[in-house]
Amino acid sequence: MTQATEVLIPTSAAEAATAFGDGSGVTVIAGGTIVVPEITYGRLKPGKALLLARAGLSGVTRQGTTVTIGAGTPVQELVDLSAPLGPCAANVADLEIRSQGTLGGNVCAGPGPDAPRGDLQGPLLALGAIARSAGADGERTEPLDDFLEDRGNRLLLDVSFEEPAAGAFAAIDYPHTHEYTVLAVSGARAADGTLRFAATGLADHARLLSGDPAAAAGEVRLEDDALASSWYRAKVLPVLVRRVLTELEESA
Amino acid sequence: MNLTVNGVTHEIESWPLTTLLDVLREELEITSPKAGCEQGGCGACTVLVDGTPQRACLTAVAAIDGASITTAEGLGTPDDLSPLQQAFTHHYAAQCGFCTSGMMMAAHAYLDGGGTDDRHAIQEALAGHVCRCTGYVKIIAAVAAAARGDSFDLTTTAPSAGMVNVGGVK
Amino acid sequence: MKAVGARLPRYDGVAHVTGRTVFVDDVRVPGTLWVKALRSPVHRADVSGLDVSKAEAMKGVRAVITWKDVPLLEYGHLSALGIPADEPLLAKDDVRYKGQPIAVVAAEDEDTAMAAVEAIKIDFDEKPALLDVRKAFDPDAPVIHQWGNWYPHFEAEMDRRQIRKGDIERAFEEADVIVQGVYRPAAIEHVALETQSCQVVPEANGRLTIHSCTQALYFSLGVVAAHLQVPLNKLKLVGGTVGGGFGGKVDTATETVCCLLAMKSGRPVRWRWTREEEFLCSSTRAPWHMEIADAVTNDGWILGRRMLTLHDSGAYARFSPYGLTKHSFHHTGAYTIPNLHFDGYVVFTNRVPTTAMRGFGVTSISFATETHMSRIADVLGLDPWEIRLKNANRIADTSPNGISYTDPSTVSVVKALAEGVGVELSAALRAMTRDPREGDLLPEHLVAQVGSLEEVH
Repeated sequence: MTQATEVLIPTSAAEAATAFGDGSGVTVIAGGTIVVPEITYGRLKPGKALLLARAGLSGVTRQGTTVTIGAGTPVQELVDLSAPLGPCAANVADLEIRSQGTLGGNVCAGPGPDAPRGDLQGPLLALGAIARSAGADGERTEPLDDFLEDRGNRLLLDVSFEEPAAGAFAAIDYPHTHEYTVLAVSGARAADGTLRFAATGLADHARLLSGDPAAAAGEVRLEDDALASSWYRAKVLPVLVRRVLTELEESA
Repeated sequence: MNLTVNGVTHEIESWPLTTLLDVLREELEITSPKAGCEQGGCGACTVLVDGTPQRACLTAVAAIDGASITTAEGLGTPDDLSPLQQAFTHHYAAQCGFCTSGMMMAAHAYLDGGGTDDRHAIQEALAGHVCRCTGYVKIIAAVAAAARGDSFDLTTTAPSAGMVNVGGVK
Repeated sequence: MKAVGARLPRYDGVAHVTGRTVFVDDVRVPGTLWVKALRSPVHRADVSGLDVSKAEAMKGVRAVITWKDVPLLEYGHLSALGIPADEPLLAKDDVRYKGQPIAVVAAEDEDTAMAAVEAIKIDFDEKPALLDVRKAFDPDAPVIHQWGNWYPHFEAEMDRRQIRKGDIERAFEEADVIVQGVYRPAAIEHVALETQSCQVVPEANGRLTIHSCTQALYFSLGVVAAHLQVPLNKLKLVGGTVGGGFGGKVDTATETVCCLLAMKSGRPVRWRWTREEEFLCSSTRAPWHMEIADAVTNDGWILGRRMLTLHDSGAYARFSPYGLTKHSFHHTGAYTIPNLHFDGYVVFTNRVPTTAMRGFGVTSISFATETHMSRIADVLGLDPWEIRLKNANRIADTSPNGISYTDPSTVSVVKALAEGVGVELSAALRAMTRDPREGDLLPEHLVAQVGSLEEVH
């Protein structure tokens, strides 16, 4: 249904937060790559549509070693960043989809009906990212893994993280575009030496891993879906963890 | 809301969440962008929005109010084909023609951005475009030829580069 | 001849590159209605209580049709080839595949059409579905088609294509090795970029102008006229550029429904399938199940072939009997095997009905035979080129259905392939021709091929 009861096009982050309110009855449309087809196919009937195209939420900024990325930043603007975020972004779909899809839409995506979504969640978790969002209790800043639990009720404004000392990204890759990522592992070594690992392609959203290949499959919830079985993912996950570990060790 | 399409400004009457694809095809009756999947997966709806190739099927028109749109009709006319259109014609890069409009918008943007005749770079730029007829070889050859600035004899077509021809077929 | 051998540009090439080619969905006629279908959400069910009244009463809805609106509900598209009708244009008492159309709506806009479809009431009594051809023959398999679980209307009411040739028992006794293989190519979607599209305009003189994406204009003309029970001259089919077909646009999948809606509403109508509809319920290339056992000698002769084919027709017959027929006549591929025992079945399942796709019927056996030839070479430790050239069709060899070859091309094609991929054949292989067999190339099992044909059904 393309006839929403109300269409709001805020021109600032503050306006967007006000328009979002507590999120009830609001359909957020950033790049539209996930939400617009749902509307076209009649599965989503927006009541209040919040278009973020002009909300000024786009951009990658640096202050010292801290990187902040606006939720409205197109995925294409992330492809040249260092691993794990850069290679992960470059692996998403194709040029046009990356130019329209945003970091916010990707991170806040709910689980897909046929395949996992939210590729960028993994690298951001591995980077120890902090999420700034608006919603029912006003503006909130929290670790990304807490945000992911509540992402359906929040309007993501930006994410920030410390530039890592090293990063790595490994994914099950098909030779054609438009493959959804079956499974991917991100790893990062922070400036203070802390190692973080995360996986995407899981049930619901990306999760942190311990980084121990043997334990990895037991640390996450895997599902059968149109792309692969949970059995297959369980077999491959340790392999991807080992690849990331190797790459991180080599960059030490 | 208004949109400038191929140089002509229109006042848009469709609902704000109508996709750009439906605005173009239904309200403005500009039908070169195609509804191949309406999910962003095939590339047949691609148009230029302020010079950037974008999926019209994924774009809510209200989000691009005031933008300048270019479609295949705006690249050149039958009497005045652009170099890229000539390249597609001479290199037989279109069979059924359904993917051609979207393919050309992506190729046009690639060339506008300084794209070269490097096969891999062309493939990357066109990676989001599905063609079920040609097998892509001649499409890539056409874009490469346009990148090189070749001139084209439109009364004939180019031979198939790289094919092994056993049996004497020309 | 000026055009043959010349390198000519497409006559529609300039239209393609300037975005001016008019595909079916690009036609614009004032007052055209949008069409959407109610489709079965389950693989198999009895249906009852179909109630379209709410949809019909909805503001903006101009017509709703069901099986009741179709003058001739079932028409065999290939009745000229002896395949009787089995498929209703719109479902009546039951549904047999997920996505099967039940009712269709024409409304002022797309949103209204979709809402009207949602307002249609129907009761589904879901039944166990048959989804695996191998299970169709089980005594406790559900019977899912009025003819039984496999097509029974080949000539002389045979329930299979059957070929018996030569002496298969002797071939298997005298073989040095039996090489077996099971080949199961899966269904393939055509995925033409242009989805199924149709527009129908009712003309003032009582005719219907049908803008159709069909690959077979005259064929579709006949099908529509038969369902509507009107003379051919009432219909004007306008074809043109098809946005890819590959065999997927021969089912006349949209035209009749659009005609009925145009007639009922008195307005032009337009139906464009979504990509999801295409993947859900447009017909596909059939999945096949082929079992081959070849009786072979240590020096690479194929004495005999036993073969069983199960062709997955989906819920209805459509063109499957025709595809299986072609398959059976070609089941030795490009090679001569004189002792044959072939059985092929067109099996019904609760899957999307299958249809034509580029060489359907024969591509399956080409895949299976070629893979099997290489397998034979592998098992025997012989050169795969030698296996092919030795058993290649030659002049005066006979096909599975007893036709004597006068112009076989296997030998020249295999040699050309070797040249093309840079493989140097041995002198002995290079010397082979397609001339009628003699000497070393006429072993005892190939003698007297003509006249040994016992049964072809």
